[in-house]
Amino acid sequence: MRPSRAIVRATGAALFALTIAIALVAQRDVGLARDELVYMSAGDGYARWWIDAVTFKDGTVSERGITAAWGGKGATDHNREHPPLMKTMFGLSKRLLHDRLGVASTVTAYRAPTALMHGVLVLVVFAWVVAAWGYAEAVLAALLTLFLPRALFHAGLACFDGPIATMWVASLYCYWRALSRWWWAPIAGVVWGLALATKHNALLIPFAIAPHFVWVIVRDGLHRAGPGPWRWGRGIALGVFGRWYVPLSLIVLGPLTLLAVWPWLWLAPSGHVRAWLQFHLHHVHYNFEYLGDNWNHPPFPWHVAVVTTLFTVPAATLAAAAVGTLVKARAWWQTRATAAPSTEPGLLLASSVAASMGPFVLGSTPIFGAEKHWEAAIPSLCIAAALGAVWAARAAVAALVAQWPRLGARAATAIAITAVGGALVISAAAETAHAHPYALSSYNAIAGGAPGGADRGMNRQFWGYAARGVLPFLRAQSPGRVYSHDASPAWGTYLRDRRLPPGFGDSGNEEGGIAASQYAIVIHELHFNRHDFMIWSNYGTVQPVFVLRADGVPIVTVYRRPTKPTR
Amino acid sequence: MASSVSRLVRAAPALGLIAIAAWSALRVVGAGGAVPDDAAWAATSARVRSELRGGELIVFAPRWVEPVGRLHLGDRIPIEMAGRLDAARYPVIWELSIRGARAPETRGLVPTTTFAVGGVTARRFERAAAVVVTDFAPVIGTATVTGPRVRGPDLVLAEVGFTPRRCAQVVPQPDGEVAMTFAGVELGTELAVGAGLADVFTRRDVRDPGELAVAVDGVELARFRFGVDDGWVTRTLVTRPGSATVTFRARAVGLRASNRLVCFAAEARR
Repeated sequence: MRPSRAIVRATGAALFALTIAIALVAQRDVGLARDELVYMSAGDGYARWWIDAVTFKDGTVSERGITAAWGGKGATDHNREHPPLMKTMFGLSKRLLHDRLGVASTVTAYRAPTALMHGVLVLVVFAWVVAAWGYAEAVLAALLTLFLPRALFHAGLACFDGPIATMWVASLYCYWRALSRWWWAPIAGVVWGLALATKHNALLIPFAIAPHFVWVIVRDGLHRAGPGPWRWGRGIALGVFGRWYVPLSLIVLGPLTLLAVWPWLWLAPSGHVRAWLQFHLHHVHYNFEYLGDNWNHPPFPWHVAVVTTLFTVPAATLAAAAVGTLVKARAWWQTRATAAPSTEPGLLLASSVAASMGPFVLGSTPIFGAEKHWEAAIPSLCIAAALGAVWAARAAVAALVAQWPRLGARAATAIAITAVGGALVISAAAETAHAHPYALSSYNAIAGGAPGGADRGMNRQFWGYAARGVLPFLRAQSPGRVYSHDASPAWGTYLRDRRLPPGFGDSGNEEGGIAASQYAIVIHELHFNRHDFMIWSNYGTVQPVFVLRADGVPIVTVYRRPTKPTR
Repeated sequence: MASSVSRLVRAAPALGLIAIAAWSALRVVGAGGAVPDDAAWAATSARVRSELRGGELIVFAPRWVEPVGRLHLGDRIPIEMAGRLDAARYPVIWELSIRGARAPETRGLVPTTTFAVGGVTARRFERAAAVVVTDFAPVIGTATVTGPRVRGPDLVLAEVGFTPRRCAQVVPQPDGEVAMTFAGVELGTELAVGAGLADVFTRRDVRDPGELAVAVDGVELARFRFGVDDGWVTRTLVTRPGSATVTFRARAVGLRASNRLVCFAAEARR
């Protein structure tokens, strides 16, 4: 039995609110990621510009005014190498939640839009699954999406990786809806445009949609064309004619939406789009440890996305996803000849995984962000896991009812789904909670947890956010300048927010910074070992005074300049 | 019977998923418990300290736990030891390891002492140590240097293959060769040489290899290349004991080979 519409809506609303609350609470413990500071600063300028624009301040919507807020001659001026949607929201959120309402700290106010977007992701997953498969599957899929250690981490940062996963899934959902109801088509176009305005990953969304669209319209067209001469030609024509508005909406409204929310493009649409894309096509390859080697140059191993996903998504979710995929693939195969054409949500989700992860098989796509680069693929796994879990529960109930016919099938089904789904959710939730706040150092049971990930030479972390974990230790020391290396962009904010008392200012970069420091930290990534060695040379000792660990795995080391060098 | 088996098979996926969920959570949440804490390290270190003598090498395994090891025993690890060419000059090696890992320095050796405290295993190895008669890197300032170079040679502690190496570092001009000659140095029965390209960022941006040649009294004994992914490459050359002139030639291979931070160390041993 399907729950009433009111219950479905209430459940969706509850999941949405729960997700936002968890993301907002969790992020309070997470240190500042290097990139966040850049986006916060840019977002301040973007928000100010929009407020000036809607209040008709003179000169705002001029070439000079736009350039001053959105661009410049340099490739990274005002962070023009990234589209503006989330940065604009960060800036507006900070003005509203912190400056005006005073209900959030500065950092939380900046990060709140990402948490909101994560709520949208969980809501969209729920809405999609409840429409395509069922209520139990939807609740489970939503909760498994919520309890992903890495995704929840990204949901609490003022960055784009969580939001683009949301916009990706939302674009696919709206497109899928548009296959059944025409008025979803313009919505899909606008949502894809907003996805483009979130991060360049959205350029891959057509690669998820196009094969699915072709499949759906050809199957539908052939079905409607019936037998006879020119069946394929008539079928394709019928299929396209029936849904022509879907691609048209995407092609027209997507770019227009991007243009509308990105004033920098107004000055030179094609030139500035080209510059944006060129930046990412020629992006520097940051260092990244994978299976024991440091990678900073192509060719990269083809299996990075697969192995990293197998090591970072909760193992039980992966197992259930395997069951769900097999069950649905088998059912599709068995009915492929006789089934009426449908909008094939399973195929679209599979296409989403392929489009999101596919570039990383090429060996030339930068891998430095690991799972955040293909985070949009992971909700597909959560949905497959939910389908697998519910199928497994129902199969078990069928067996039990056959054994004990007096057993109430409905009650037994509910109990079984709760037991199987509950086990998956509790397991994933426990792992997510345990990973907090150093989720980038966390690995799943297949890897052997965080120590297993370290044993396997998987990347420890990036962005320098874990440095916040050593601030309590530093606070207990006598004041002195700190060589903070990868955390240096965040250091001023830590001081401003009084996480460190005055006197612990950043000492500067590289050898000069170390020479001027009283304390030095090393945020452990393989390529950052060089900082250890520079510090040893300058301090005259290899002995740290504190090592921050996650599950016993070192993530940040602190050195203190010896009063008398030991060497 | 057959129907019971059939029913069990139909229930197996559900039971399997519940079991995997329980295993997964327990394994992840409990993973940290399998890593020794500071108390275990402190206790092991205290016992090692009581038996440790000067000039004995301390190593840790696996590689990722090294910061914790240095936290507890770093005061007994001089920078020269941390940035060693290899382990040959140390008569005793102490290996402190967790989770069954072993350090490459102790490969093939049999421990004379082994004890474990709270998951930290300490092993003491004895070996016939090489006697170093000339250590070239620290005296690089005495070498006669010729050839086109951007900078160096200097004695540095460099990152080579993500490991610390105390070495003489020179940056030849692209396709250039820098000769560093030591006159009248004492040689033993062998000359151990280690070399590699320092600095992860220049290795990323410039992919051309470096090269090192070693000549004794004008006779070239070895010439070997090391690429950006080769790390620290070692060679052991046979030499005749006595005074000799030794020349090391560092080369940046190719016209595009800018910023090749050629880093080498050498020890004449007997």
